[in-house]
Amino acid sequence: MSSFVVSEALATGFKEGFKAGIIWLVLIAYLSKHDRSSLIRSFHAAVLTVLMATPLFLVYYSGPPAKDAIRNFISFSFSLLLILSAASLYHASGIKPDGPLDRSDSKAFLMNRFILPPLIFFLTVAFFLPDMLGSGSFIKDLAAIKESGRSTYISALAGFASGYLLWSIIYRTLRPLWIGGFFDIPQIFLFLSVTKLLGGGTKGLAEMTLIPSVQRGFMKFSHDFIHQTFVFLMVPDHQLLKTTTWNFIGFFFGPNIAGFAALAGILFFPLLFLYYRLFRPLPDPLAETGAERRKVKSGLLFDRRKKALPVMLFVLLVLGSWFSESGESLSKLYIPKPKPVVEDKGLILIPLKDPSMDIKDGRLHKFALQHNNQEIRLLVINKTGGLSVCLDACEICPPEGYGQRDSNVVCVYCNTPIPVDTLGQAGGCNPIPLSFEQDEQFIKIGLKELLKKREFIPTGAAGEKAG
Amino acid sequence: MPFIDVDNVIKEYDNAHALRGVSLGIEKGQWLNIVGPSGSGKSTLLNLMGGLDSPSAGSVVIDETDINRLNEDGMARFRREKMGFIFQQSHLIPYLNALENVMLAQYFHSMSDEKEASEALGRVGLSQRLRHRPSQLSGGEQQRVCIARALINSPELLLADEPTGNLDRENTRMILELLKKLHEEEHFTIVLVTHDPFVAQWGQRIVTMEDGKIRCDELVCRL
Repeated sequence: MSSFVVSEALATGFKEGFKAGIIWLVLIAYLSKHDRSSLIRSFHAAVLTVLMATPLFLVYYSGPPAKDAIRNFISFSFSLLLILSAASLYHASGIKPDGPLDRSDSKAFLMNRFILPPLIFFLTVAFFLPDMLGSGSFIKDLAAIKESGRSTYISALAGFASGYLLWSIIYRTLRPLWIGGFFDIPQIFLFLSVTKLLGGGTKGLAEMTLIPSVQRGFMKFSHDFIHQTFVFLMVPDHQLLKTTTWNFIGFFFGPNIAGFAALAGILFFPLLFLYYRLFRPLPDPLAETGAERRKVKSGLLFDRRKKALPVMLFVLLVLGSWFSESGESLSKLYIPKPKPVVEDKGLILIPLKDPSMDIKDGRLHKFALQHNNQEIRLLVINKTGGLSVCLDACEICPPEGYGQRDSNVVCVYCNTPIPVDTLGQAGGCNPIPLSFEQDEQFIKIGLKELLKKREFIPTGAAGEKAG
Repeated sequence: MPFIDVDNVIKEYDNAHALRGVSLGIEKGQWLNIVGPSGSGKSTLLNLMGGLDSPSAGSVVIDETDINRLNEDGMARFRREKMGFIFQQSHLIPYLNALENVMLAQYFHSMSDEKEASEALGRVGLSQRLRHRPSQLSGGEQQRVCIARALINSPELLLADEPTGNLDRENTRMILELLKKLHEEEHFTIVLVTHDPFVAQWGQRIVTMEDGKIRCDELVCRL
């Protein structure tokens, strides 16, 4: 366990250091190419701020609310970069012709002195802080697993330093400042977005990239949107519309279609940029001779191709990583047999230390309570941040319950996959969450809470079975 | 300072002296013909002006650039930007047609442009022969393709080494008339080497060489 924890901490630290290093290198190359090397100070100041803010935040703010805040912060940061890169790629693609550029000295002075430094600072903080907090929080959890957390923290720091040093050595030995010529503002934003997508995971070696989170998020969004639309339209729960139809609809919520839609959403603007920059005709420049005109045109064409190269590279990187992450096979649905539980003095007790099972093993566990000759099924599963306890039913489908496939629980009725980490959120196709208490021996659920939440389960033939 | 300033240039091959201290200034837009018997050093002088060879001593300055100080890449760039060449042999690529031969010169300069290349061939009277390969063209037509190719990148200097050496009198006249017309329209500088007195009369100035030296330098008097 110990070496596993240390290597996880090392890898997480290395990933963060690697990201910081490569971004520093690209940024310094870009700024020096555009005679703005002095602006690198803003980047350094932001990285220092992040390095100081991360431990402070993690010391004074912890627990599930902090984890939720970090998760939201990461989503915000990635979305912000994605929007910025989409907007700048759209602007640079040439779809909308540029107006005359005002490059007066006073504007340049204002830009270099007052606009760009805080902008670089803000973007750097917005990029690094959520990732560092996410990874820091993960390392904190690792340190808690191990008896002495010191080696975990030291490993993480060593990993960070070596990841950063790697790029520092590359910079000192090869001086690859020429790469700055391949970047403009849109390419920088895209580079940051892709770096975040490919290296923004906060679950150690198990999830180095943000791709599964994006897939899950998009899956959940599309699923809730479509499903709620059907509910809103009051599609009758007719036998003909039962499993087959929902299975069909569920196919669209699944990792294939929804995942592909998320990928298409991410790559839309880069591909649009590539299409316009590579395949649209060049404007005819004004020149005295044909040779001069061709020279200006060939310069433009060369620049277009050069600036398209990183975009193409990023598209390929995202595609490769995306499909390597999407290699989840559709394994058989795992539906455990419910274990009986009893009510005692208004509480249902689920033992945490049952020799016949490990409730924190990440697999789906089901329990059944007999109440007034009716069965009420519960499910318990360990997710990031702790156990989740829900009814084995949602607010929409007839309560046929859930099974588990990979990192999703799947509704047996409509075949909709629900990412395990979203359990505990109420509404839609999610299992109805239950409030509970937990001590060293038991999960304790109030009978009143159970009966109150049972009211949300749709009634009907199938509902009778559970309710 | 003249557009081309050749200053006391010496060129030696082993123990043979091809040029023995030649100095020459050529103004921008001038058509200068270099004449002289075989072995007089006229082609050597032209090669030095084109940066195809380097002098043993002395300097060649073109448009304020000492071309002998340029490295290989710089020289190639300078030639690409400033010069056009026509030789006695057409040196056209045999498996490319007339249009493609001209477009190839465009490509090495910047990028090819079919419309502009067709217009250039039209100006030398070959608009009906665009898709013909060199072997399907007469000697005079091949030289006209060479003129289009040499001028397609709007050079400031056209260097021609016996451009009509392989042509009969009629074709020679046709080529020279064409060069004269283009020279009047585009005002580039021409340095043309010939041993033919008929050709020599077409320029604005004649430099006669003998034994590696300039023997005579005179303006052509046109009545």
